[in-house]
Amino acid sequence: MDPSEVEFLAEKEVVKIIPNFSLDKVYLIGGDLGPFNPGLPVGCPRVAGSEPKTETEVSGLFLLHGWMLVSTVHADKLEEMRDLERKEDAFTPVPSPYYMELTKLLLNYASDNIPKADEIRTLVKDIWDTRVAKLRLSADSFISQMEAHAKLDNLTLMEINTIRSFLLDSLNCMYKLRSNLQPGSSKGQFTGLLIHKNLGRLGFGLPHGPFVTQKTFLGD
Amino acid sequence: MSDVLSDDGGSEVNQDDSREDVMTPAELIAKLEEAWLNEKFSPDLLENKSEVVECVMEQLTHMEDNLQRVKKGDAKAGIHRMEIDRIRFVLSSYLRSRLQKIEKFFPHVLEREKSRGEGDPSLLSPEEFAFAREYYAMTETYLKAVALKRMPPNLQTVDMLKAVPEPCLDSFVFLRVKERQENILVEPETDDQREYVVDLEEGSQHLMRYRTIAPLVSSGAVQLI
Repeated sequence: MDPSEVEFLAEKEVVKIIPNFSLDKVYLIGGDLGPFNPGLPVGCPRVAGSEPKTETEVSGLFLLHGWMLVSTVHADKLEEMRDLERKEDAFTPVPSPYYMELTKLLLNYASDNIPKADEIRTLVKDIWDTRVAKLRLSADSFISQMEAHAKLDNLTLMEINTIRSFLLDSLNCMYKLRSNLQPGSSKGQFTGLLIHKNLGRLGFGLPHGPFVTQKTFLGD
Repeated sequence: MSDVLSDDGGSEVNQDDSREDVMTPAELIAKLEEAWLNEKFSPDLLENKSEVVECVMEQLTHMEDNLQRVKKGDAKAGIHRMEIDRIRFVLSSYLRSRLQKIEKFFPHVLEREKSRGEGDPSLLSPEEFAFAREYYAMTETYLKAVALKRMPPNLQTVDMLKAVPEPCLDSFVFLRVKERQENILVEPETDDQREYVVDLEEGSQHLMRYRTIAPLVSSGAVQLI
């Protein structure tokens, strides 16, 4: 899956805004939006303000600049989360299933309206780094122990996406290699080129990245 | 202008009430997104959701007709247009990934369609079926014209079913559980490991082989992610 498609899904997430304009309720196919009144907080999917295009296409631009965003996560809360994430072996719950994408979208478009934007950016990046390091380590132990099932609670789509193609392709190739070893198996039909490519990839940069600080296992 | 769009909201509700299968437009979009993600991540072609596709198309044309009547530069129209674009993207991405799979596995897809029983739901929509058949015929003609007719007579036939690789049902997938499932059998990776069962709790996420949970994907009990 392309990262932009994950972002596409994240754009549906509802964020709270305080509009400084007024607009009647909008009846969308996917549900109603608004009504917007100046000064009254209202929930709204992130997408509606994300794409300012031209001057004539008012809505995006208008909404984007008209919005004062209220960040629902506060810096001290994020700090707690970061510490917990570092302490725990398993993945801890995150504020939103799309926390990374939302942070990026919100901070890029509206950093002026979010207090402590830089601090939030750093904290979220810290949390992300810790989690991805855990994920790599888990993927490594998953492969080396030849497991057939893993529980991945609290893992977000974007995180899964960072290792998806690499992990799944490797697992599939290893499966084919193994089933080739068993006599009478007809499953292994692939070329030497593929084997070669995969072995090269398996040894590449998995376990000993610079972020790895602690030993963890997938899920529990 | 606001009347046009508000009217539209009202008429949608009425339309839905009269249908046998009551579903709000919002649920319909959610269904489409579900089908899109499942299709994207499953190694095999899934059952077609032509009902959902048709309903979404209907909604889109309806909304576009309404937008035709709206004067340019209206803030609301922009929001509506953006939503239409997003839904259209999901819809075409869904159909595209199905076509890609059909192109990849066409002999097996046609074979499954042939061997399916009378009452079973069809794997392909009529359009997809026509596409698969045409694709099959064209590939065959091409192979013949380019290579086969220059071969010795005893080598001039090719079995498409053997020539094209089957979908690999043993690949791993990521999934989220929507309805609790008990006693899912996990097959061992190696001979010295024993098989064991797991319970899939609602809302939990897992990484396992597609073959084990394929029926749960089609029943909608799990969502691939």
